[in-house]
Order: sequence, then C-alpha cells, then structure tokens
Amino acid sequence: MRNRLIFSAAAVVAMLALSPAPRGQDAAHTGSVPDISGVWLVEKFEPRLFPNGGAPLQPWAEMKLKTTNPQTDDPNLACLPEGVPRFMISVPYPMEIFQGPTRVLIIHEGTSVLRQIHMGRQHSKDLDPTYAGDSVGKWEGDTLVVDTIGFNDKTWLDGGALPHTEALHVVERIRRRNHDTLVDEFTIEDPMAYTKPITAQQVYKLKPDWEIHEYVCEENNKYTYQRK
Amino acid sequence: MRNKLLVFPATAIFLLLSLEGSTFAHHGFVSWFDMSRSVTIKGTVMSYDWTNPHAYIYLDVKNEKGAVEKWSVELGALAMLARAGWRRDTLKYGDEITAIGNPAKDGKPMMHLDKIVFANGQELSSAL
Repeated sequence: MRNRLIFSAAAVVAMLALSPAPRGQDAAHTGSVPDISGVWLVEKFEPRLFPNGGAPLQPWAEMKLKTTNPQTDDPNLACLPEGVPRFMISVPYPMEIFQGPTRVLIIHEGTSVLRQIHMGRQHSKDLDPTYAGDSVGKWEGDTLVVDTIGFNDKTWLDGGALPHTEALHVVERIRRRNHDTLVDEFTIEDPMAYTKPITAQQVYKLKPDWEIHEYVCEENNKYTYQRK
Repeated sequence: MRNKLLVFPATAIFLLLSLEGSTFAHHGFVSWFDMSRSVTIKGTVMSYDWTNPHAYIYLDVKNEKGAVEKWSVELGALAMLARAGWRRDTLKYGDEITAIGNPAKDGKPMMHLDKIVFANGQELSSAL
C-alpha cells in the first residue's frame, strides 16, 4: 500500500482507548477542552487554493506549475495520499476526528489515510520526510493549534498543482464555530517555493448520521499517473 | 520563522464558481471533463461497475446516423454515491436510461455524470 497507513475505525478506537478522553458529538465542550470529534465534510468543495491564479510562487515554482499537467501529473491519480494541507483543504470526502489527551486522530475516507496529531510534545528531531508530516498540537482556549513540518515534496498543496518543498511548514487553527461547524484556518509557509506565507480557511459541516466507509482507490482506478 | 507567519500573508479565497453543487468525485475530473458544458445521452446499460475510486456506467448510445457509440459514464466514489441514494443494484444490463453530465474535453464518448433519468421518469442525482 505504498507508504500508506490504513487503519480501521476499530483500530483507532483501540489506540485512543489507551489514553481515553471524553468524546462525543452531542456536546460542544466535554471536559476541559473543546470536543471536535465527529464526522465532518467540507462545506464547499473547491480543489484550488487560488482559483483565479495569483499564488505567490518563487520563479522556479512558477515554472514548475506551468509545466505540470493536472491530467497526468497529479499524485492522487496514482492513489497516493494528498498529504497536508491538501488532505484538509480540497478532498471532497468526509473525515472523522477522534480526540484523546495525547493524540487527535483524523481518518479520511478519501485514500483511507490516518493523520496523527501528537498533543503535548515537540517535533521529533531529524524527521524522515512523509506525506502527512509530523503534526504536534496544543489547545489555546477553544482552538486546537496544529504545527506540522517534516513533509516530503511529493504532494501538492491543493488540487491545483501548487508545488512545495520539504521546507513546508503548516500551522492550523482548528475550532468549532458552533455545534455543526468546524473551521480550520491555515498558514502555509514554504520560503523555498513561495515569496510569502499563504493563508486559507476551510469550513466543515458535522455529519452526525454518517460513518466512514471503506475506500479502496486502487480497485478500479482508470487514471494514469505519469510522474513517479 | 514563526514570526514571519503573519507578515504579508497571501490570502487564498475559496471561490465556489462552477463547482458548487457538483458531484463529489475523486480524481481530477475538472481536468478531464468540461464542467461548463452539459450533454444528454440516452442509451442502454451494458454494464455498471460498482467500484472505487469511481463507479462507471457503460452505455450503448445510438447517434444521429443510427450507429452505436460506446459511452463511459463516470460517477463518484461508492460511499458518497450511497449517501446520495445509489446502490450496487441501481442499474442492470439492458436498462434504458438518460444520462446528463459533463462531456470529456477531448471529445471522446465519456461523461462525468450529473444525474440519470430512468425510463419511468424517475431521476437520481450523483451529487448529494
């Protein structure tokens, strides 16, 4: 399954059971920190961070974007993980958040990827670059602040082919605006690829009756990926 | 590095334009299909693939000259289709349906499905 973690919901529950915390979709706040658990779907699906262009690309990145063919070069065509932040921004399938005191786990139905946000620790040293990077989180009031580094350069920032390097650094501020609405505010920084930080926001709606389903991308994938 | 985060950020605005309300689909359908155009075809179901990452309907469609064109109609992922009311037995060989959706940019007989209309007039959308 190529560098990919596939976890069943049961496995995630078992992981969190090692460090249980109050969870549930019925209360906006449970215990001392807000409850953001539940199944969430992007409110509006727009694959591109800059639908009208204008991303602050460094010259080489601008050239790379111009020479990228979305019909054949999207790693997602090979069922490879979207990575962060694309994973959170432009995937039109639901994600489920499981919340514990030492980790917040996000299972995404698309590509069945598990994202781990480690609470209360610093980034590991000498990180081996990965698709999802190394995410560490902390609560600031009602907001989960997630800092992620340690990325490989094999993903796009969004569905519009925006490139990045291993210097990518993503900070997310995730909070429950109200019972049915989750907001993730992104600050995306990669000075090797962009002339200034990019900020973006994604809004998710609670899907209280939904469960995460199996999604085996390789089953009948008819698309061809040219850049491996 | 952290202190620079809030300096002169470029703001990405999520404009919703033509994709709002469109089918939830996985692979780069925006690249392959002309989302600004809609076509309607009427044909006979040859097969129905209930598979990820996309379900497919294969239709035999008679063109104006009476020749049969083999159409491939692409849908979204199974879980999202199921949430929209689709099932693995929604279609079977021989069903006569009308398919409405976005045609392939390259002119091949392919479509990104918006909805189907059954012979009895009932409609089923591929979007939520």
